[in-house]
Amino acid sequence: MYGWVGKILRIDLSSGTVTTEPTEPYIDEYLGGRGLGVRLIYENYVPGTDPLDPGNPLIFSTGPLTGTAMPGSGRVDVTALSPMSKLRAKSNFGAYWGPEVKYAGFDHIIITGKAEKPAYILINDGRVEIRDAGRLWGKDTFETQKTIQADLGDPEVKVVCIGPAGERLVRFACLITETGDAAGRTGMGAVMGSKNLKAIAVRGSGAVKIARPDEMLKRSLEVIQFMREHPAYQELSNWGVARSMTMMYDFSFFPVGYFEDVAWEEIINNYKGPEYVEKFQLKNTGCFCCPNRCMNFLDVPGLGKGVTSCEPWSGFTGGVWNLDMDVFWEATLLTNRLGMDCTETSASIGLLMELHHEGIITAKDTDGIPMERGNKEAILTTILKIANREGYGDLLAEGQKAAARNFSPEALDKVDQVKGLAPHAYEFRAFKASGLGQAVGHRGDPLPLRSSLLEVDWHHAPEWFQQVAKEQFGSEEAAIPSEYKGKPLAVIISEHMERVPDSLGICKWLYGLFIFNDVEMATNYFNDVTGKDWDVSQLLKVSERVRNLERMFDVRQGLRRCDDSLPKKFFEQPLKKGKYKGAVLDKEKFEQMKDEYYQLRGWDKETGIPTREKLEELGLKDVADDVLENL
Amino acid sequence: MKTLIIDAEKCSGCRSCETYCSLKHYGVCAPSKGRIHVVKWEQEGMFVPINCMRCEEPACEIVCPRHATYRNYDTNAMTVDTTSCIGCLSCVFACPFGATFVDRDTGKVLKCDLCDGDPTCVKVCPTGALTFEEVSNEVRVKLVANADRIPLLVKKAIGGE
Repeated sequence: MYGWVGKILRIDLSSGTVTTEPTEPYIDEYLGGRGLGVRLIYENYVPGTDPLDPGNPLIFSTGPLTGTAMPGSGRVDVTALSPMSKLRAKSNFGAYWGPEVKYAGFDHIIITGKAEKPAYILINDGRVEIRDAGRLWGKDTFETQKTIQADLGDPEVKVVCIGPAGERLVRFACLITETGDAAGRTGMGAVMGSKNLKAIAVRGSGAVKIARPDEMLKRSLEVIQFMREHPAYQELSNWGVARSMTMMYDFSFFPVGYFEDVAWEEIINNYKGPEYVEKFQLKNTGCFCCPNRCMNFLDVPGLGKGVTSCEPWSGFTGGVWNLDMDVFWEATLLTNRLGMDCTETSASIGLLMELHHEGIITAKDTDGIPMERGNKEAILTTILKIANREGYGDLLAEGQKAAARNFSPEALDKVDQVKGLAPHAYEFRAFKASGLGQAVGHRGDPLPLRSSLLEVDWHHAPEWFQQVAKEQFGSEEAAIPSEYKGKPLAVIISEHMERVPDSLGICKWLYGLFIFNDVEMATNYFNDVTGKDWDVSQLLKVSERVRNLERMFDVRQGLRRCDDSLPKKFFEQPLKKGKYKGAVLDKEKFEQMKDEYYQLRGWDKETGIPTREKLEELGLKDVADDVLENL
Repeated sequence: MKTLIIDAEKCSGCRSCETYCSLKHYGVCAPSKGRIHVVKWEQEGMFVPINCMRCEEPACEIVCPRHATYRNYDTNAMTVDTTSCIGCLSCVFACPFGATFVDRDTGKVLKCDLCDGDPTCVKVCPTGALTFEEVSNEVRVKLVANADRIPLLVKKAIGGE
């Protein structure tokens, strides 16, 4: 086979059994990556299994294009049942681990069971070993990787691991590879920790076969040249996202605090991210074979070295009312070393700050630490206490709702989550497609989608982007943030576009968001690599199948239309200032957008469940039989 | 005559050079088949590409019992005649830079041939860490300066001063 290396690896940690099965039967319907991952979780997860039970399968999925020479081919999709939402988890990480898995001979890895003692998995060119991790337990993610490399005497072995937070089953613990590439969301670290699994180390010397190597090389030379001249590339490769932060705050697209404020003058006028980059950036780095270096590698004396990309730049600044960049960096390094999702961590701190600000909790509720907005001690100590499960951190480790419930009913009422997760930190009151995408999205945080970024781009050149919206999404209104019209179709098309790179194992920033705004280039590469002659619509059809199967997995878990919602703040508290002063979501119009979304999708409007006709049209009759008949 | 120059401080460690090298020469994507290799200290942000230095008195050529390694005077690249190569790896061990590699599949030697004077790795390198320049006195100075800096970078990466 070209592209795929052909094998799914299955490891049961309880029995130590290692088996393989062929990838090929799945590829035409699900491709790989996220798409095939959702089929594997659908088939391997037994309904009723607790997320932290050994039976919950933890699945790593590369795609047919992962590990090829095309730019941005380093992505891996991770799924399991999420310990945060009890829905299908979805997380995705880059860097260099995914390609190594392919070179070692595997497209997917399914891990079940629980090791008797702390263990790590070593995969070396097709051979699999379950090794003792007693010495690694308790180590942070940086030390863990270094220790494994030193023990194996091989500095080139690639490691993905959990930190102390994952060992202690913090519900939003993440997976880390290198210094800051994370499978951040939906609590994959807790699932790995529940299996007594500290790390997966991989070394491979094999190859990904290419059907049309000359065409691929020729295309790549053109693509690389095109990218170099692209303004998004030049910005990201020099500054990461640091310089765009102020603009996002100015557009009222990024919220301040716990969705409490927008257009905070202090952050707009005094955001020191770019200065911090100028002063402490060693270089920009990126993922495997990617010329676009969107990660900032910072070296701050006294605090440490590592990379960061988008989320911490706002999560540990505006999200927690902080303007001190040293605090931002210390918080970022801490969460990465301890192995926690920085989005959920900063949102949890933001929640405490809102509760404190409104007098719902006092320092007494938080072990004597006043949760004042922007308080350095509040930010850094909370991170440590969550990871160590100390005091109020132990409650936060169980999730925002668990902590708030313990404070008071009033506190619980303040929790802003969607499907058990902190929503993406975008301001949804003014940006309707972003709000819809967030509400209906399958994991509680599906953003960014193209339909959402289009609403930001619109500010740069309204007429131009309205034209783009008309061509790509069917209506000019799709680009206008305050419009409800045209948004459902834009979200659907964007959801399908997003699943193409996710299923091919490549970066959606490049192939769908920032460099190429559609999936044509991804399709071209897919054909070069696999030797197939698919057109864009065939790949988008797979995406639709994947979207519906994801939905059906969640429907089987009990998800219904009412879960496709947003925190009530967005419907009740209009923005008090900024460009979109007065903006608020109109509940009725919002529900009408959802009606239209379900209708266009061929889902039942009342329940939000895909119809049998739609499922059969997508070749998912077995799923319709299994799930619809047992509701 | 042009030569390939490595400026390790600019390298982002993306491994494009290795992967495109394998695509160009073998039609597959496999960094392990690359004739250039990036040594990485990812927690230090330090990455050092290693490639044939095309020495004036090449150890690889001198030790080869079958004269399989020879200089291509058109490009100045050291070339391996794969039909004569017996895979004894003498050249691999003799290379003072560790810049001669082995294909673990076939056991044969991997040696940079500068793509016959138009190196693919240079075209795909995103940071300018790899350049292909006319050999002049200026370039010689640069070459030596960069080569000199590598041991210092490595020392720093592994925690020395």
